[in-house]
Amino acid sequence: MIRENKKRLLDKKNYRNEPCFETFTCKVCGRTVIPEGAGSNHRNHCPECLWSVHMDNEPGDRKSDCHGRMEPIAVWVRKDGEWAIVHRCTVCGKLSSNRIAADDNPMKLMAIAMRPFTSGAIDKERIKNMIATMEEEPDMKK
Amino acid sequence: MAEELKCRICGANFSKEHTHCPNCLSGRHEECDGTLEPIAVWVKQDDTWDIILRCRLCGEIVTEAVCQDDNPIKIMSIASKPIASPPFPIEKLNEMTDLMGGNGTIDGYYYDKRK
Repeated sequence: MIRENKKRLLDKKNYRNEPCFETFTCKVCGRTVIPEGAGSNHRNHCPECLWSVHMDNEPGDRKSDCHGRMEPIAVWVRKDGEWAIVHRCTVCGKLSSNRIAADDNPMKLMAIAMRPFTSGAIDKERIKNMIATMEEEPDMKK
Repeated sequence: MAEELKCRICGANFSKEHTHCPNCLSGRHEECDGTLEPIAVWVKQDDTWDIILRCRLCGEIVTEAVCQDDNPIKIMSIASKPIASPPFPIEKLNEMTDLMGGNGTIDGYYYDKRK
């Protein structure tokens, strides 16, 4: 137990309590990502293509053996009004959420946010009918 | 007769086959008995939708398929939340991508060109 604690102290690849200032190359688009300009101490995705890599089981522990690419599937708004990206591992299907950084590509973020409106999974006719039944104008129709 | 469950959030009754309430889309997290809150909509490659739910107690994120009798207005409301509170001015979107060297334009010029 003591040895384990000591190992954890010496192990530098543990970012649960400390910020991570590592430069990495994006696995998807090949861009070199530097920690400066993120406005966040925990950047985990490429600012250009927004893809991430599955490294952690718990945030910051670097203990995953999967190392699959993580696709940005959705954005959501936190309680404090900030956006966060939901990533899904293409290999094992793990989901995780991360705050957006200051230099993330705004056009890509908007594209992800607008995705539900461009697909026809919910029938437009159905919503139209629903609204039509709520509006009270029976005399007009007759 | 099918057994009915009562939603904790909105009080609507629904059958036990559903994993989430079709009226307010929230559910119950089996592991920790927390409330699953719908946070986003995931559009898959084959154009089907999944709801992304997050547990209020432990923070775990799960996905669930949209079923036929889910409230369509509620789904659209969740999908439009990010657009209602953008983190940057939408009017300056084009300017900002130009500065960053991105290939995006608001009128989708590059997309048409690729086709």
